[in-house]
Amino acid sequence: MKFLATLSAVAMLCTWVRNITKVSKTTKCYQFSDQIRYIRALKRVQSDLIVPVEQSNVAHHDNPVEKKLTEQNEKQSAVAFDFGSREAHVPTFNLAAHVNNSTTLQQLLSLGVDLHSIERRKGLGQYVLRLDFEENVKPYLTFLADQGISPDSFGKMITKNPLIFKADLDDLQTRIDYMKSKRFSVEALQRIFTKNPYWLMFSTKRIDRRLGYFQKEFYLSGHDLRLLATKEPRLITYNMEHIRKSVFTLREEMGFSNKELQSLIVHTPRLMMIPPDDLVERFSYVHNDMGLSHAQIIQCPELLASREFRLRERHEFLKLLGRAQYDPQKDLYISPSEIVRGNNFYFVRNVAKSDLETFDLFLKTR
Amino acid sequence: MTLTKVYDAATVFKHLNGIINVYKPAGMKVKHVRNAILSNICKGLNELKQREPRKLPNDMRLLGSGAATDTVLHKIAANSDLSDHILASGPRYLPGDIRCAPVGTLGDHTSGVLLFGLNKGLQQSSLIQRNRPVRIYHVTARMGTATENHLPDSRVTVRANHRHLTPERISGLASSMQASHQRKMYELCGVDLQTQAAYELACKGLLRPADNSQPVIYGIKLIHFNRPHFTLELHTINENEQYMAALIHDMAIELRTVAHCSQLRCIRHAHFDVTESLLRHGWHLPGIMKNLRLQQNVLKAHPQLLDQQRVDLHAAQ
Repeated sequence: MKFLATLSAVAMLCTWVRNITKVSKTTKCYQFSDQIRYIRALKRVQSDLIVPVEQSNVAHHDNPVEKKLTEQNEKQSAVAFDFGSREAHVPTFNLAAHVNNSTTLQQLLSLGVDLHSIERRKGLGQYVLRLDFEENVKPYLTFLADQGISPDSFGKMITKNPLIFKADLDDLQTRIDYMKSKRFSVEALQRIFTKNPYWLMFSTKRIDRRLGYFQKEFYLSGHDLRLLATKEPRLITYNMEHIRKSVFTLREEMGFSNKELQSLIVHTPRLMMIPPDDLVERFSYVHNDMGLSHAQIIQCPELLASREFRLRERHEFLKLLGRAQYDPQKDLYISPSEIVRGNNFYFVRNVAKSDLETFDLFLKTR
Repeated sequence: MTLTKVYDAATVFKHLNGIINVYKPAGMKVKHVRNAILSNICKGLNELKQREPRKLPNDMRLLGSGAATDTVLHKIAANSDLSDHILASGPRYLPGDIRCAPVGTLGDHTSGVLLFGLNKGLQQSSLIQRNRPVRIYHVTARMGTATENHLPDSRVTVRANHRHLTPERISGLASSMQASHQRKMYELCGVDLQTQAAYELACKGLLRPADNSQPVIYGIKLIHFNRPHFTLELHTINENEQYMAALIHDMAIELRTVAHCSQLRCIRHAHFDVTESLLRHGWHLPGIMKNLRLQQNVLKAHPQLLDQQRVDLHAAQ
């Protein structure tokens, strides 16, 4: 009789486990169960030290999970996190489910890391959950602080690139040394690493190749190259295929000479990260419709960084007022760089010398 | 009505119901306008004061080592549920949280009045659409060239002379087209124009199509002529961009020349006027809230927009 009862209990347990595995297979949400099992394994080691041998044997034999839980509820002393009634097999939807139990996640939260945007990227949620603050995170933070990066920007940096904790500290040091050997100033380095947290993930070889590419492609001096890299650090680690396309567009389709190209990209490196189709559209409007020459565009490259509809609205408004006069030799000259500066209110008041109602009425006729 | 300043996102969200009147720029899809507006609303809401993270239940056990540096202990003292923190659970408002649907639609090349229903205004928006109000367009045509799809951004197929065209000839054609469209509607209803039945039908108001399949034109008028462009004002129901472009094309053929549509602009949708519509630089939360209020006034002033005796263009029994 007793034997039968235990048998049925075992059978129930089996079906229960099977159901849970089925659920975890069918649900599409994140499965953090691996992590929890991993953490739980750690915990088991600790609790086994406390639990007497006979008791733990019993726990292992009949209904291990529930017994374990009740035990842990009694002995919380050494463990910082508590899974409460949550079962190890139940998949969790996001990292927020673990925040209350994990010191690492809480520390990251207090640094200002946006866990929500991390977990949206594939695999990163699992990775972050596996981190240990003291072991995996702290050395990197002290390292970054040693480079003079302000702790306020840690949150943003880690949000953008949590994988930095995977890199080897010696490698990071080598990369910093390389940058210093290229005579980047400390301030420049700070700016580069805060603006582009991916930079440190690139090997010195790769960074060197890319810096070399820019230097050769645009005949830049060392100083200009450093200026370019500091102004737009994302450009150096950008998709090279995209950059090649942009350079082709700028050089062949728009017909900027090497000299012009050099000043253009040192002044506004962001142009290379704009989709080439948009760039051509803007250029064709500026060059053909507004009638600005290449030399004038070089003078204010911001024109090409402004969206086409914005240029169109403003130019046509000026044309309507009869103020679209971009020749500095003549009267009533309006500098092209003024056109794209500021918001509509600034433009209407200071450049067009009109009022916002007129501008609104004008926009509603288009 | 007194207005008070609000700093609380939840209050703003609670009042985010109704119709907004947006000025859709040409060359932008309705879908993109909708996405831009929703993401701007969410950006605005997330910048306002958010609710605090939830409190933890009181019966949570005290965990942790008990040392002063133990953050877990501190957390319990503050008693806030960190899993509800904005950084952990993500922004409080996402574009998916706001229900939004356009009233009718505009083609890609069309600019002008576009109505959106937000949240509880969705009901109003569907009512407005079901009543099939008239939309008024200003359609600018360019004479002399015909293009493949009758719109400016495709290939030119035919060129022709348009020196013989005068404003009088165009308005003559426009009024004759208007008359024939009006007559067609009564014919579709199965009544003779010269009868008492037709008079009674006309007294009830505008004859509307029963479904949204058939485009109907109520008025065509030449309002501007400046060679090589001329502008027509169209009062229509169930129109679309292609239909109006083809209309311009056919008119030009009738006038012994060719033309294509260079600009399409919706200036009025029922009583929602272009003067009150929200331009692109006003697509932010304060602007949208103000616009919601303005459109609410329009709806109040014209209750027939939502509920009206309909005279449909039904075939005679």
